[in-house]
Amino acid sequence: MTRFIEPGAHVLVTGASGLLGRSVAQRLAAEGYAVTVLQRGTSALEGVDEIRGSLADPAAVARATQGQDAVIHMAAKVSVSGPHEDFVEVNVRGTERLLDAAQASGVTDFLHVSSPSVAHAGASLIGAGAGPADPRGAVGSYAQTKAQAELIAEARGASGLNVLILRPHLVWGPGDGQLTSRIIERARSGRMPILGSGAALVDTLYIDNAVDAFVAGLRRLPEIAGQRLVLTNGEPRPIGELITGIAAAGGAPAPRLRLAPGLAKAAGAVVERLWALSERVSGPRADEPPMTKFLAEQLSTAHWFDQRATQQALDWTPRISVDEGLARLREHIQRTGSVL
Amino acid sequence: MVSLRRRFSPIEAAPARLPADHAPDAGLAFPGLDPEWSRLVRAKTDDGARTFHVLDTGPALAARGIAPTGTILAVHGNPTWSYLWRSVLSASLERATDGAAWRVIAPDQLDMGFSERLAHPVAPAPDAPSYRQLQTRLGDLDALMDALDVDTSTLVTLGHDWGGVISLGWAVRQRGQVDAAITLNTAVDHPTAEPVPAALRAAMAPAALPAATVTTDAFLRVTLGLAEETLPAAAREAYRAPYTSRSGRGGIGGFVADIPALSSHGSRACLQEISAGLSEWDKPTLLLWGPKDPVFQDRYLADLQARVPHADLHRFEGAGHMLVEDRDIAAPLFTWLEDQFGESAMRESRRSPEPAGTILGLHEQLTALSTSARRSEAAVVDMTAEPEAWSTAEDAATGNRALSWEELARQVDALAVGLRATGVRRGDRVSLLVQPGNSLTVILYACLRLGAVAVVADAGLGVRGMTRAVRSARPDWVIGAQPGLTLARSLGWPGQRISAQRLSARRQRLLDTVASVESLLSRHEGETPENEPQPGADDPAAVLFTSGSTGPAKGVVYTHARLGALVALLVEQFHIRPGASLIAGFAPFALLGPAIGATSVTPEMSVTKPATLTATAVADAALAGEASMFFGSPAALRNVVATAAELSGLQRRALGEISLVLSAGAPVHPDLLNAVQRVFPVAEIHTPYGMTEGLLQADIERREVLDAMTTAQPGVCVGSAVRGVRFALAPLDSTGVPAEELVDPADAVGVLGEIVVSAAHLKAGYDRLWFTDRISRRDTHDGLLWHRTNDIGHFDAESRLWIEGRLQHVLTTAAGPIGPGTVETPVDALPEVARSAAVPVGPQGTQAVVVIVEPESESTSERFPLREGRSPVAEVSFAARVRAAVPEIQIAAVLVLEELPTDVRHNSKIDRTGLAGWAERVLAGEKVGTP
Repeated sequence: MTRFIEPGAHVLVTGASGLLGRSVAQRLAAEGYAVTVLQRGTSALEGVDEIRGSLADPAAVARATQGQDAVIHMAAKVSVSGPHEDFVEVNVRGTERLLDAAQASGVTDFLHVSSPSVAHAGASLIGAGAGPADPRGAVGSYAQTKAQAELIAEARGASGLNVLILRPHLVWGPGDGQLTSRIIERARSGRMPILGSGAALVDTLYIDNAVDAFVAGLRRLPEIAGQRLVLTNGEPRPIGELITGIAAAGGAPAPRLRLAPGLAKAAGAVVERLWALSERVSGPRADEPPMTKFLAEQLSTAHWFDQRATQQALDWTPRISVDEGLARLREHIQRTGSVL
Repeated sequence: MVSLRRRFSPIEAAPARLPADHAPDAGLAFPGLDPEWSRLVRAKTDDGARTFHVLDTGPALAARGIAPTGTILAVHGNPTWSYLWRSVLSASLERATDGAAWRVIAPDQLDMGFSERLAHPVAPAPDAPSYRQLQTRLGDLDALMDALDVDTSTLVTLGHDWGGVISLGWAVRQRGQVDAAITLNTAVDHPTAEPVPAALRAAMAPAALPAATVTTDAFLRVTLGLAEETLPAAAREAYRAPYTSRSGRGGIGGFVADIPALSSHGSRACLQEISAGLSEWDKPTLLLWGPKDPVFQDRYLADLQARVPHADLHRFEGAGHMLVEDRDIAAPLFTWLEDQFGESAMRESRRSPEPAGTILGLHEQLTALSTSARRSEAAVVDMTAEPEAWSTAEDAATGNRALSWEELARQVDALAVGLRATGVRRGDRVSLLVQPGNSLTVILYACLRLGAVAVVADAGLGVRGMTRAVRSARPDWVIGAQPGLTLARSLGWPGQRISAQRLSARRQRLLDTVASVESLLSRHEGETPENEPQPGADDPAAVLFTSGSTGPAKGVVYTHARLGALVALLVEQFHIRPGASLIAGFAPFALLGPAIGATSVTPEMSVTKPATLTATAVADAALAGEASMFFGSPAALRNVVATAAELSGLQRRALGEISLVLSAGAPVHPDLLNAVQRVFPVAEIHTPYGMTEGLLQADIERREVLDAMTTAQPGVCVGSAVRGVRFALAPLDSTGVPAEELVDPADAVGVLGEIVVSAAHLKAGYDRLWFTDRISRRDTHDGLLWHRTNDIGHFDAESRLWIEGRLQHVLTTAAGPIGPGTVETPVDALPEVARSAAVPVGPQGTQAVVVIVEPESESTSERFPLREGRSPVAEVSFAARVRAAVPEIQIAAVLVLEELPTDVRHNSKIDRTGLAGWAERVLAGEKVGTP
């Protein structure tokens, strides 16, 4: 007896203010799922029930999980800087509250969105699988707290909840205000560096493929619960080529600035400390530091993954190739004048 | 040094123990050793009841309800213990579940390992009382086997080091019971006149012996340090465990003292009994040998082979004394046992397909032509710069470097007689260190006439490769020009030396030569070897070497019949008639000229650098030999094309007479074929497919190549099977492993697999690589004898073969396995690409495809750079063109490298393994460096 979560099911999506959360919620609604979204601001999404609230608020969380069949938990504090405590509050305690509420309201299936960085320190990842999360080995507050959260979610699998963990890697495409727009902005102003030879092979995930994979993952969740799956396009490319390609899609010249990886890491560590200091002095900053140790590692070592288990479990293959994605991004920017 | 003279304090007797009881608190784990195998056995030895620690899989088999099919008695040497055999024990149990179940019994010798310790009132020394000697140790095995009550219906011995001597000695004594013997590095004889190996001499010096072996653990440490890769600490600890204290090491000293280096030694008679007994030994025997052993050197292997000529031998290049730690010996060992005692009798009855024509004796054409009307026509013409060693000053000055058929036959006869008189016998191996040319041809055919085996380790292997090759083939004789002999002398290559030229007395001493070809020729001029029997069809004729592009070069043995079948095929395939003349730019074919009955012209070129062959050199050779055929390698062809502008009108006309061009050694790009056609306007240009193990398998002509190209299949089309060749395919699975079951080409059109061939002119076998040979010929499809080529490719609907690379170079992507040729062929066709290599990075089954491009020289210009700055990553638009050339395959990265590294011999086989390692580093984000 195979059980699928089909359209008509009630699904809560947290973190629908981000590109991925918004896109997934929208797609699920379009396919006929009864979607509720939970986030602090307004989502401005059509065809979904909206609950405004934070994961810090148990009442809001309880209200949101009421009557749901499944939860897709995407809300997280995603940043490369900031006080560690903030990350713990959102990523660890928030996840715990959501899980508690979900189980209390009889939710059966829980799709936890994580990150490949939860399982890996700075070393190269070459055709890597999805190892267990390792909070001690993870680098930086984001990865550490996401690792803790993943372990917590995974442990709930033993107490009757179906838990599936998806770890998308470097989502990009039209609408992406994180990676995509920053690369283009910096490339336009000549501040986008390529580290070392720019040859490090890196996996990415085009947004439409990510949405497909999440819908597939939700649908098959009861069948494949208990698995951890890294999610990528399965098309690793040299990082320099990807950056150049994304910059070109935004009409920016190919980055000419080249930094030695060691230098960038050292500089990143210094900048991180400066940022922390300035935040302590004058409160949270709205911008992100230009370079961090984590980012330097991401940009100078290989990060690509074995996708065979993922594609088989989700019964999914990426529809949009990297090259096709770049073409769509260029078309989007030319048409709208912006990445967003 | 004071300590050496100190009085020896007696060692006390101690009981046997179980390894598990040894220092359990220290957490010593004995990795790989199952406590279930350990037992203590009391046996009545020559001097009373003694307790042995024995590893024995008998109880484990019984517990699983498996009745053993045979027993292996494994005897360790000094200073190891039965722990040495743990991989054999565990492999035997793994195999027992669905194959033959061998019970393995591995005792610790007395005073060794965890067996009983003897009391030693005096220091170890030759014949010192209280220490076990060879004779008694043989008795120990008798006693132990009695006590164990072993079913001896099938009994095999296995030994290593002095355990080799003891196990072989026991086998010889118990020849009624023992059915086969296997030994690793050992020695059963040592001429007392020769010094023992230096590595042992130090420990054996009477003054040093007790200190080196008993007082300290120096001997033990040195032995464990002989492993190819440093042993894991836990394994080293396990080996050392029984010998950590002085009182545990009496046996180590006793063993060293028992080496009968002098004729007066008490164990000498017993050793001689063993070595003499082995010479009578007629049971199946397997020798597994690690050649990098400073003690049991290749000369002891040669002695064993001389005593047991029927023994199968696998010599593990690169491995040493601790062979069992360096390599997997269990797989060859149990496969061999299966062949000896299992039900695979099928193997021996397999045959080769009928040859393409009547098999000719290698001297038949030479003899016939030397007495025919053509006898004064040129048989061999040598255009190399050096005049022949024995050519007269007059000849050298006039540049007349031809030998007629009559002259060639007379020289071959005279030299055969001369070599026989020097001591070269039928079956002797003769290493030829002479550059291709007339003298090499004379020497080769003289050897063949005598039934001596020519060992042809060509300079293309490089000095290290040649040294390895010559050592592995272990020639009895070396015939060389001065550079070759100097190398042989200084690197200590085996074999008695014969110089090509006559040498001064001083040089003779310096190079340690026993004769010269030049003086033998003049001394025996006019004589014929009529009293020497002709060699038999199945006698070995030659040992050739693979290029070593995928590991150490392997020796390939050809018999007279198999070379004769090749000759018949060449005559048939290329319509060679008496009077034909060929320019030999590719050595293997050059040497066959006289056997084919064609004049062979050696053009002026450096053998080590085929790319130095110029168009004018080919033309001059064509003029001198009135040649109609040209055999070359792709690298030579490329240079001929590149230097064609230098041809004079006369030279151009000479090349215009060439009717056949053959390119062998590696696939050729159609663009190059077209360029070659412009240099040789009327020639048919053939690119045959073959390998050292079978020089000609498929053939195709340039126009057929161009036709085939229009079908846009992956790889390089090498044509259809030539007459007498059967092809089969072993399809690859998703991890790139070829199937065990073969399929016929017609049943697997378009399927990627390993190419498997069967033909009368294939190798007779690999030399001293029993297991490699066994693997290569494992197939039984259609009752034929097959050879696994390690090449991968596919067959098309017209039965044409398309080569897509080497098995070692398969890329196992998530979408399935692909051959590098699938990617390289279309990429090579891009105008800015000179050549390319497709290599994998990442783990098996999910590898990413990387294309490394060597640009055409004009495309590296400043205006259109193919890459950015100093980074090897291709510029984005060029990468896009490469990807577009192979739309069906995902290419992760395109890298640009000024020059792709290639092998030395052909200068055309790209070193993909090296490139893959480089790409893996670069694409991990490490420093770029060089491949």
